[in-house]
Formats: sequence, structure tokens, C-alpha cells
Amino acid sequence: MNDFSEIENELRKLRPAQPSPILFERIEEAIAEHCRASVSDARSGWWRFTETPYKWGFGLAAAVALILFAAISMEHQQDGGKEIAQISRESETAPLRSSAKESTSSDKFVPAGATRLVYNTRNEGLQFARGSGQPLRRLRYQTRETWQWRNPTTGASLRVSYPSEEVVLIPVSGQ
Amino acid sequence: MQNLASHEDWKSCFSEVAPGLLLFARQWVQSAADAEDIVQEAFVKFWRRNHKIENRALLYAAVRSIALDFIRRDSRRARREASAISETDEFIEPQFEFEDDTQRALAEAIDVLPCEQREVVVMKIWNELTFAEIAGVLGISQNTAASRYRYALAALRNTLQPR
Repeated sequence: MNDFSEIENELRKLRPAQPSPILFERIEEAIAEHCRASVSDARSGWWRFTETPYKWGFGLAAAVALILFAAISMEHQQDGGKEIAQISRESETAPLRSSAKESTSSDKFVPAGATRLVYNTRNEGLQFARGSGQPLRRLRYQTRETWQWRNPTTGASLRVSYPSEEVVLIPVSGQ
Repeated sequence: MQNLASHEDWKSCFSEVAPGLLLFARQWVQSAADAEDIVQEAFVKFWRRNHKIENRALLYAAVRSIALDFIRRDSRRARREASAISETDEFIEPQFEFEDDTQRALAEAIDVLPCEQREVVVMKIWNELTFAEIAGVLGISQNTAASRYRYALAALRNTLQPR
């Protein structure tokens, strides 16, 4: 018990003024708004997180595919080969087998197939092209393209797969 | 997101600490509305950062910081208001609920305490912070906090002693 116990007790009897009920409403609103903003941030954060690697992955995979394809094509031209990769524009997943003749060289890869799987289509609404009065519907296709090469001699295969995105504008005709 | 997951709990937490927080904020601002603005901002910030209510010192530190920002930002308006109040002897909303004249005198005595003593008393008596927590909020040593508290109580006791 110190010398100040009496004054401390007197002070504790003094009750501070209560907050107004409006303060509770204001805080509730601010916290609710924060919850909504956190959900939105989480979504956009996920997009920010995935978007960049997605773009890099796409770019790298596309570059690798082009280089390989160009190298193989050049090699085939030199050999007088006629192998051509078949590109499917449909969404089926079964790879198309090349009917080209098999190479006899052990280090030669021949295109064995390509697939283009459309896994998402988004309708982004109508828009008007510059200078055109006709509305266009903007569709965004998200796809995964896969290219395959095979070495007929050794049986080794090479497969490159990458995501891609395509925006298509389709004219909308009035009835 | 611990606080968000149980975000209804904020009401019980806030009900418990609100009167003390408002009293703490009233040290720097004349009006109860301004004190409520400060407390709201501090509490929402505290809650958003998912601090546990046990870390009360952080909450008081936030109130103090926001109140100091507020008076810096609003010093011109505050001076205008202060002069208007002194000229018109305008009614200032009470910071306490009085039951008798002794309590009224005590409240008036608290008002005239030096700011650094008053804030320690407010945190210690009405917010039940320890000297260690008070020292953390004010950035001072525990001994300094305890010493300010004792000086304040001595001053209050002298004020209330019958002459």
C-alpha cells in the first residue's frame, strides 16, 4: 500500500465518458471496407504474382520452340526432307502423327505432332473498330500449345508445351 | 488474418478499451468528435495489422502518433477554435462522468496536469497499462514513467486536500 492509494482509488471511481454509438458504426464500416479491399487485393495480388512468370514462361517456351523448329526445318531442307509439322486448330488433345518418311540419321528429329488445347474462352463484350460502324465481339482464348518431335532411329522424343492467348474479333451482324 | 477471421470480436475489444482511448486522445484535442476520429483511425489501423489486443501499448502508441499528426496538421484550425472557445466561454464536452463535486474537482485537477504527467496517469489508471507498457508507448524508461506518475498523483492529492 503506497502513499497514493487513496488518490488512486478516487481516480478509479472517475469514469471516462463513453464513446458515441456512431463511432462503433464508423469503425464497423471501416473494418468491413478493409475486408472487401483485402479480398480484392488478394485477387489482384494473385494475378500480379502469376502474370509475370506466365508471360516469361510463354516467351521462353515460344522462343525455344521457334529455334528448335527453325533448326529442324533447316536440317530437313538440307537433306531434302519434306517433313512438316501438322498443326491442329481444334481443341482435341490427340497428337497428330507425321506421315513423313522416317529419317535414317540417328541425330535427326522429325515433327511428330502438335496440339492446341483451348481451355478457356472469355467473352469480353462488344467493341467498335476504328472507322467501322459494325460492332465486333471480342473473344479471348486461352490455350496450351504442344509441339512434339521424335527421333525415328533412337526413339527419343522432344516435347515443348507453352500457354498462349489469342484475341479474336468476330463481326456481329444485326438481325 | 487472425483479426479478420473473427472480425466480430472487434466490438467486444473496442468496448473495453474505447473510454480509456478516448480519454487518452482528448489530451491533445478539444472536441470529443476529434478524439473519436483519432481513436477510430488508430483502432482500425491496429485491427488491420492484425495486432492482438493484448499488445495494448501499440494501440496507445498509434493513438498518440495520430493525435500528434492531427494537431500538427490542424494547428491553425485548433488555434482558431481555442480562441473562439476562450472568447465565448463555449461549453466543452466533459471527459468524465461526474457523480459529485469532488469528482468534478478531480477532473479539473487532471486537466491542469502537465501533459507528460497526465498521459501517464491516463494510461495507468483508466487503461491499466503497466509502467513497462507506458514506457514503450512514450519511448521513455520505466523509471521515468513511474516518476511522472508519482509527481502527478502528488499534485492531484495536494489539489484535493482541504485547505
